[in-house]
Amino acid sequence: MIPKICLLLGCAALAFGAQPQKVFPYEYSQEDLPNGLRLIVVPTDYANIVANYIVVQTGSRNEVEPGHTGFAHLFEHLMFRGTEKYSPEKYNQTLNRMGAASNASTSDDLTVYHTTFSKEDLDTVLAMEADRFQHLKYAEPEFKTESLAVLGEYNKNSASPFSKLDEVMHDTAFDKHTYKHTTMGFLKDIQDMPNQYAYSLKFFDRYYRPEYTTIIVVGDVKAKAVRAMVDKYWGEWKRGSYRPEIPVEPAQNGPRTAHVDWPSPTLPIVVVAYKAPAYNDATKETAALDALATLAFSSTSDLYQKLVVQEQKADSISGNAPGSVDPSLFEITARVKKVEDLDYVRERILETVKAFQEKPVDTARLDTVRKRLRYQVALSMDNSDTIAQILSYYVALKRTPETMNALYDRYATLTPEDVREVAAKYLVEKGRTIVTLTGPGGAK
Amino acid sequence: MRLIGSLFILVSCAAAQIRTVTLPGKSPLVTFRLVFTTGSAADPADRPGLAYLTAQMIADGGTKDLTYKQVTDAMFPMASGMNAQVDKEMTTFGGATHVDNLAEYYKLLKGRLLTPGWREDDFRRVKDAAINAIKVGLRGNNDEELGKEVLYETLYQGTPYGHFNGGTVSSLEKITLDDVKTFYKSQYSQSQLIIGIAGGYSPEFLASMKKDFGALPAAASPEAAIPAPAVVEKSRIVIVDKDTRSVAYSIGYPIDVTRARPDYAALLLVSSYLGQHRMSSGVLYNRLREKRGLNYGDYAYIEYFPRGMFLMEPQPNLARHRQIFQVWIRPVEPPTAKFALRLALFELDKLNKNGLTQEEFERTREFLSKYVNVLTRTKRAELGYAIDSLFYGIPQYNDYLKTQLAKLTLADVNRVIKENIRTDHVVIAAVTRNGEDLKRQLASDDASPMTYNSPKPKEITEEDTLVVKWPLGVKAEDIKVRPVAEVFQ
Repeated sequence: MIPKICLLLGCAALAFGAQPQKVFPYEYSQEDLPNGLRLIVVPTDYANIVANYIVVQTGSRNEVEPGHTGFAHLFEHLMFRGTEKYSPEKYNQTLNRMGAASNASTSDDLTVYHTTFSKEDLDTVLAMEADRFQHLKYAEPEFKTESLAVLGEYNKNSASPFSKLDEVMHDTAFDKHTYKHTTMGFLKDIQDMPNQYAYSLKFFDRYYRPEYTTIIVVGDVKAKAVRAMVDKYWGEWKRGSYRPEIPVEPAQNGPRTAHVDWPSPTLPIVVVAYKAPAYNDATKETAALDALATLAFSSTSDLYQKLVVQEQKADSISGNAPGSVDPSLFEITARVKKVEDLDYVRERILETVKAFQEKPVDTARLDTVRKRLRYQVALSMDNSDTIAQILSYYVALKRTPETMNALYDRYATLTPEDVREVAAKYLVEKGRTIVTLTGPGGAK
Repeated sequence: MRLIGSLFILVSCAAAQIRTVTLPGKSPLVTFRLVFTTGSAADPADRPGLAYLTAQMIADGGTKDLTYKQVTDAMFPMASGMNAQVDKEMTTFGGATHVDNLAEYYKLLKGRLLTPGWREDDFRRVKDAAINAIKVGLRGNNDEELGKEVLYETLYQGTPYGHFNGGTVSSLEKITLDDVKTFYKSQYSQSQLIIGIAGGYSPEFLASMKKDFGALPAAASPEAAIPAPAVVEKSRIVIVDKDTRSVAYSIGYPIDVTRARPDYAALLLVSSYLGQHRMSSGVLYNRLREKRGLNYGDYAYIEYFPRGMFLMEPQPNLARHRQIFQVWIRPVEPPTAKFALRLALFELDKLNKNGLTQEEFERTREFLSKYVNVLTRTKRAELGYAIDSLFYGIPQYNDYLKTQLAKLTLADVNRVIKENIRTDHVVIAAVTRNGEDLKRQLASDDASPMTYNSPKPKEITEEDTLVVKWPLGVKAEDIKVRPVAEVFQ
């Protein structure tokens, strides 16, 4: 096997030459078990440590029934509620003895369970994880208690106006699709969770199945040995049959607005969002929207320089292109220093959008964005845990590290006209939603 | 030059007074951590926030030769940046770059640190950001961090640690650019600098870097000793009143333990057992969240740990000569607020009375002995911990901790519990709506009955009969309600 660190060096030397190397520089194995479970193993030269990320392609997007928003996230909690073999106490104590770092997170399209530990504990980790994915067992009282911890999470998030903005933006911009609610879910559904034990069992039965799941193992490991362990512990897991019918969002036919009155002092915030397409690396659109977000709204953009650095009317501006399984939102967020400048800042954002629709950017500027994107990846992949974390996002989309390579190949071939085209096609008034938030009279 | 444990970590006092911590390697990345052993404890009494503004002007401003825009434009294609972290006794500048860009990146880093631009427009922007970080970031948007910082401010009143690292609004408003320049000249010296560097740099690069930083003044004014904070004579509560959904608590008191002290490993083990940060293994997490569903999590600390709601692991380079023991109770629903506080103190009392069992001791020791490898898995962390070890005068952290843990006995740990874990003489910070109402509740000895949405095991209901009447021991005159707008004003 080629030493991986050399591969990364090789990437660095060639990345910006005539024939760019793949942006994901590691050799890896990708195999499917007969039950549909996918295993991706990435051996690295980072000694002793192993990162195990288990990606379930289920997020708040999969919450298709009214009244049950937030269940994917609730499950992230319930998965720590034990099995017959491993009570929550035994599970925690076993991880504790390993000195492992373990947690989980949920978003629109995925739930990921991750554990980072010393290599000698890999067999135990895979056995314990297999046990809870196949044999999770919790009684109604424990379910009710855990649903309160979710409410506690909502409560701690609720101190930030950005959480509220996110809720209102999604609720306003979407009519049918499940992206209408945030991953936390609607508060009324969270408050009703304790009454939904039976539904929770159904949710687990539907989605915690091998065909939805990919195990990523990165670190001081050998692929063959990992496969043997996965066969042993995960081989008996039964494939499911449920396929959700995710409602298709109808085309938006006009601009929308909403406003949030925040009860305590804050700086005013404006979010301008546009309906944008699903992640797609078969065309250049996702890559072009990413580049657009950076060119038009990052810290080196003309708009940022004008509003944040020169005029100092805003203290932050950022753009974010979606990379979701289904069409979502391209969002521009600005925090404004004075409430009377809110309209001014919003107008400058709209002007910037218009300018990018009309005139292609300089090729040289696009080149700097391309360069930055590749260095960003190289700089972040400095340990096994982060490598697994980055992969988990791409795996949630298309179940393979090649997703990442495909996207970066698209960045490499982008032209200024590609960027102009996506701005003209997607950042349009009829697909636009603007949400503003102000405190009582702005920040005092 | 002396070897301090790891084959590759070299600590040296070179020809000049600059200390270096180096981790040379074959990585295509180069990681920098430049630490000045100065910080907000050096703020003049009438200028809290000066150390913070100075560091921000360096890390988020232009250089003598380049404007802010020129610096950010130059760093942009490298995907590199520079960040500053200001604590009481350490100011850290961090950054990383690919070896392809090392020369160009270093030029920018050097320019910012050695020849800052000190432009008025940068100062205006940085100052606004610092003020908004208090008004909006802390007071407005983050009840939990707010509670923690109020706890620190209360405990350290009258000492150089007695103000928030980011200063106060009124002080930031009056600090001038000249104040910043003066602070820089007096505090950013060779004697206070530790250069940390890791990755694929050459020995020649390091030599020239040390030569460059020899341009700093040789020595700063001697560092003042940090006095111990006043003893907490009796328990008291500070309630910050603001419009918010729930009630966030932080509980704490000063301890005489730092990494340099003999009881460090034992007390670290105790805090890990009680509430390892963001893990479900701790006692507090288990009793408050898992068994009773009171909130999202509950943890314990023996070292300063800011931004815990955004971080899974502690940041290095927050080394201090003085620390506190702290319990963090994440927001609870207002009707359960008094019960939750009682339960947290009940658990501390239980720990004090019962100590750990042999199994609990061994399991937690095993955890820490291995988890330390996870904590230091990145070059950034490895460098940071090595710099902290230099500050505390201890060997390489991983080896040090493992050795100290291996020597521990259950008797040691239980002695340290008796000496350090208590429920009286504590300060409690709470952030809530209707502060006066919470004050009335907490000042009263009335029971705080607890009802659940599901049946609880006998063990819990029996325990609750004790918890609901657990004496908080705080009188109304020792509970202060502060409107949020006053905090850090």
